[in-house]
Amino acid sequence: MDSRSKKILAVIIALCVVCACAYIAIAALGPNQTTTDAQPRVGAALANTDLMVRAVDPKEPTLNGRVYVLDDGHLRKQSGELACERVYFAAGHGICMGVAPSGVEYTASVFNSKLQREHTIALTGLPSRTRVSPDGRYGAMTVFVTGDSYLSSPTAFSTRTSILEMASGRQVGQLEQFKVEKDGVPFDAVDFNFWGVTFDPNDSDHFYATLGTGGDHYLVEGSISGEKMTVLREGVECPSLSPDGAQIAYKSRIGNEAHWHLRVLDVATLDDHPVAEERSIDDQVEWLDNDTLVYSDGRNVYTAPADGSGASAVLVRDATSPVRLDQSGQELAHSQR
Amino acid sequence: MYQVEASKALLKPRLWARTPARLKVPRNVVMLGFVSMLTDISSEMVATVLPLYLVFTLGASPLALGAIDGAYRGAAALVQVASGFASDRFRRPKEVAGLGYGISAVGKVALVAAGNTIGGIGAIVTFDRVGKGIRTAPRDALISLSSSKAGLATAFGVHRAMDSAGAMLGPLVAFGILLAAPARFDAVFVVSTLFAALGVAVLALTVQGKPKRASRDPNAPSLRSAAGLVRDPRFALLLVAAAGLSIASVSDALIYVGLQRKIDFEPAFFPLLYVITAVIFMAFAIPVGQLADRIGRVPVLVSGYALLFIVYGTLLIGSLGYFELLLCLVALGGFFAATEGVMPALAGAMLPEKLQASGLGILTTVVSIGSLLSSLAFGALWFAIGLQSAVIVFAAALALAILLAVPLLVRSQRAALDG
Repeated sequence: MDSRSKKILAVIIALCVVCACAYIAIAALGPNQTTTDAQPRVGAALANTDLMVRAVDPKEPTLNGRVYVLDDGHLRKQSGELACERVYFAAGHGICMGVAPSGVEYTASVFNSKLQREHTIALTGLPSRTRVSPDGRYGAMTVFVTGDSYLSSPTAFSTRTSILEMASGRQVGQLEQFKVEKDGVPFDAVDFNFWGVTFDPNDSDHFYATLGTGGDHYLVEGSISGEKMTVLREGVECPSLSPDGAQIAYKSRIGNEAHWHLRVLDVATLDDHPVAEERSIDDQVEWLDNDTLVYSDGRNVYTAPADGSGASAVLVRDATSPVRLDQSGQELAHSQR
Repeated sequence: MYQVEASKALLKPRLWARTPARLKVPRNVVMLGFVSMLTDISSEMVATVLPLYLVFTLGASPLALGAIDGAYRGAAALVQVASGFASDRFRRPKEVAGLGYGISAVGKVALVAAGNTIGGIGAIVTFDRVGKGIRTAPRDALISLSSSKAGLATAFGVHRAMDSAGAMLGPLVAFGILLAAPARFDAVFVVSTLFAALGVAVLALTVQGKPKRASRDPNAPSLRSAAGLVRDPRFALLLVAAAGLSIASVSDALIYVGLQRKIDFEPAFFPLLYVITAVIFMAFAIPVGQLADRIGRVPVLVSGYALLFIVYGTLLIGSLGYFELLLCLVALGGFFAATEGVMPALAGAMLPEKLQASGLGILTTVVSIGSLLSSLAFGALWFAIGLQSAVIVFAAALALAILLAVPLLVRSQRAALDG
């Protein structure tokens, strides 16, 4: 290398360093919040609706949103610093999954009926689904795993679903390590992904979830203590049990596209019927009561009858993650007045 | 100063020598190492944040993203052979490699300028892969031709260690930037572009395009002579051995998936699996390369593949402890250290100078097709007979492949010495 090349290289290195530092500095000084103060708006008020939602900023839908409660047609912001991308709450225990203050990592908070953070759990990927069993014993969290990128393709995703004991905030199981059976024989493949857990209201050890493998999506039922699952039927994603445990609302994929229609199936017979919702819904549905569904398309919260009759209606604008509030939740809502 | 001399000491095994061998690596190899390191920092920065970016900024649904990849698979293999031959034919390995590095750098610029549609990103990812396919064979030929035959494994070891250092640093740089400027993916893309540009500049300004072992033959090699390489008995034996060994090796990505099914601890620990393996690879690539140059490349290469038995063994244990896990990762890192650089060194020593890039391109393609077949077979076996049985089948296949490879490699080496 002659001295001229050396000089040119030195100049190029210096230029690159200066440009990189300047760009990062400008970016760092710019707006870089992870939480939005956007507020949801009430759409069509339903009588006696006790609902928790998470606010979504229509311009920046991936920022953490504050938690609000819809109480007799009024929206109330909840006190505290709780803000997230996914929220669920039952029997005095809640999970709030969102971006960590660093803006790079993700964390989940386990909170109590005063909305105080009791445990913080580092997440290994992007928040996807979360549920708490109706008795408040277990919680389930699904994340999209990233960071495996330099081993596989940079755009390949997989999911990871963990079960928490809500009181201690400890992980007590991971669905990827459970045994699976299909038609009475062991079932396993390298591309197994699990997501969308829903707990049996009569027995929190018993749950349903989605198993995805090779383009198929199965409804599985499982036992936390037994660490096993059984395949029930095909074509079911993000199951959600009704409060009486008799029906499962789910999203049904149209073709191989990222396009879903909502359906409801009977747990005893596995027969199902469509819901009067025209939009594609990528959400784990929530039940307002045994006859009414609530769900979000990522921007607004809608409601529709579970029996397939009628039509859908906007319940809350600029909100996602609807949660039916049980007794403990209603006390929470009223105590915040 | 930088030359590795083919001294008598190198011919005589001197494993127990008291004076440690001084690491002498041709300057060209070190510079190519820097080029690869800078380019890998650039690529891994983007690869690390791309899934986050797609979901965070573009609002893509993660499970719908599978369609983006798959576009480049297969095409990359053909590109490697073609660019290798082009580099030999025009006797311009540096320029052809530069084209590959340049294409990837342009891809990064495109990401900054137009990376806001999912289709656009798919095209850019494909672009990046094509660039990688183009540069691999001529770059390996430059490494080989810049080194003496006696120091080839060391030279490739140095290059692979620097390359893997870049792959480790990339994610750190990307997360560092996002920590300073949360959610500013544009800053990551801009800095990535600068690293890629710097890589091209280092290549253009410091790498010697006509290294000392470069062919002085005034006649450009014909396509026929390049195709004839696969009929060369020495090289053909190496290719068959390499194909068998790579088919019997389970890819590291699948091994991690297997480990994840067995280990019951905090998921936050998982990213450490890759880090530990990469650090072991990085730490051992150079000393293992030196060892291969001193005691022979075939025993080191075969020992490297034999390390996979430890990896397979840990996948067969019912419940894994931390010790078994660490042992598995050290074995996996050691496997990479003993094979990634030693395999091209074996080929580089026997290939004619004027067909280095063509031959190395063919070898890389054979190994990558073997790995692809291996992944497909392992996935199918896992589904059909379960993880345990699939691992047992692969362990048996590996034993067979090694038993087959040893005589082939020994014969190929003997023929190389005689010829």
